Amino acid sequence: MRIREDKCVGCGACIPYCPVSSIVRDGGKAAVDEDECVDCGVCLRADICPAEAIFMPDECFEYPRAIRMQFSDPGVQHPNFKSWGRGTEEAKTNDVTGKFGRGEYGLLLEFGRPGTGTRLSEIEKVTTVIRNMGLDILKDNPLYGLLEEDLSGRFKPEYLNEKILSGILEFRFGEDELEEALGKLIPLLKDLDTVVSVGLVTRFADDASIPVIGKLAKMGLAVRPNAKINVGLGRPLVDR
Amino acid sequence: MSHSLHRYGPVESLRGDYCIYARAAKGVNRGEGVGDKLRKILAIYTSSGVVNFGSSHGGKSFSNGLEAEEYAKTLDDSYGIIATFDDRESVKKVLTKAGEANTGISIVVSGLIDEVVKVAHECGLKPHTATLSLGIFGHTEKLPEDDVLEMVTMCGHSLVSTGLIKDVIAKVKAGKLSPEDAALIASKPCTCGIFNTSRCAKKFREILERESERAD
Ligand code: SF4
Ligand code: SF4
Repeated sequence: MRIREDKCVGCGACIPYCPVSSIVRDGGKAAVDEDECVDCGVCLRADICPAEAIFMPDECFEYPRAIRMQFSDPGVQHPNFKSWGRGTEEAKTNDVTGKFGRGEYGLLLEFGRPGTGTRLSEIEKVTTVIRNMGLDILKDNPLYGLLEEDLSGRFKPEYLNEKILSGILEFRFGEDELEEALGKLIPLLKDLDTVVSVGLVTRFADDASIPVIGKLAKMGLAVRPNAKINVGLGRPLVDR
Repeated sequence: MSHSLHRYGPVESLRGDYCIYARAAKGVNRGEGVGDKLRKILAIYTSSGVVNFGSSHGGKSFSNGLEAEEYAKTLDDSYGIIATFDDRESVKKVLTKAGEANTGISIVVSGLIDEVVKVAHECGLKPHTATLSLGIFGHTEKLPEDDVLEMVTMCGHSLVSTGLIKDVIAKVKAGKLSPEDAALIASKPCTCGIFNTSRCAKKFREILERESERAD
């Protein structure tokens, strides 16, 4: 995103809207720090500029920069993936896809959220470890397409410095891998220059309890009181 | 969209915060007729005390002027719709009606685990899968204070900024905005319509009360 210096009247109305604080005051006018900006479009859509000074320049649509808006503006589609936003299916339709069965877990690492954004270089610090552990990063996810094909967990170098508002890594593992996966990955997160919201997909037991909560507590991991619950209305129902 | 998962805040505040998402699955039930099924679900939402809904593709939410009829026309190109509610009774109404409508589309409710499981049982449903939130890790010093975090995490795409929430809180405290108008302004960047304007206005009223108690 960019602000036309000749048009900006310096009213400051756009400044609070930026989720990553990349609009700064510059000699009585506002200016976008384009290296920090994630091209989310919030400042433009807010429609608050009295001088119509805010615009998305052509360079923002060119690769590798174009991935910024694809991951940061939910109204922009991922071109190769035909989905919007972070593009994960996770457990939303698990009652008809059976993607996660009993004794299987999905881990969702959402980098940059809330409100900090992330460079892909920060995410790579985790993807390389995941690959070294032999875990599979799920392919139906837009971040997957930015990785090198050699399965090293590295991103293609041109993307490394790109900054996005948030991106989700999603992978699946079995009961016997739960402790090792979380035990290795969670401590890694504290050294990142971003925040990571962590989600875990699990099946309900027949008595509507969630057995993994007790296992997580033993590992020192607390579960938030609110969750996302697939209530089993999808048909045909898959219960594996 | 794991975007309604990591909503932050104490249990009491979360009691007034639910999102319901209906989503057709690729290769299963996303074919012809999905638009009509989603329109049915939209009608269920709007007749059950909905607080907000929206369309990130259309760039607008109900709280900022998206009409249900206008939105309904776009649903042939869609595969899911999400809406926000501020009490468990509305959730119960939606799940009861969705069960009767028998669309076969998956329904996901974000909210307090205990409450959602109870409501599901009251509606004769058996919860299938949960996506749990383990919280926020990493460089958490970058996060804003709890009151603000509660509000910004109501937009799961992180489009509602800390700066905007602080700006409207300052205007509410200065008497320049009512809590309700401030909540509408805060909700505007969240085009998916999962920003709960009712919970937000309540929070702003609480902040005002705290301020006046302090002044006393
Ligand atoms: S496009 Fe988004 S990140 Fe860039 S300046 Fe505007 S609000 Fe900030
Ligand atoms: S709202 Fe427009 S005129 Fe005001 S500071 Fe921002 S760019 Fe400049």
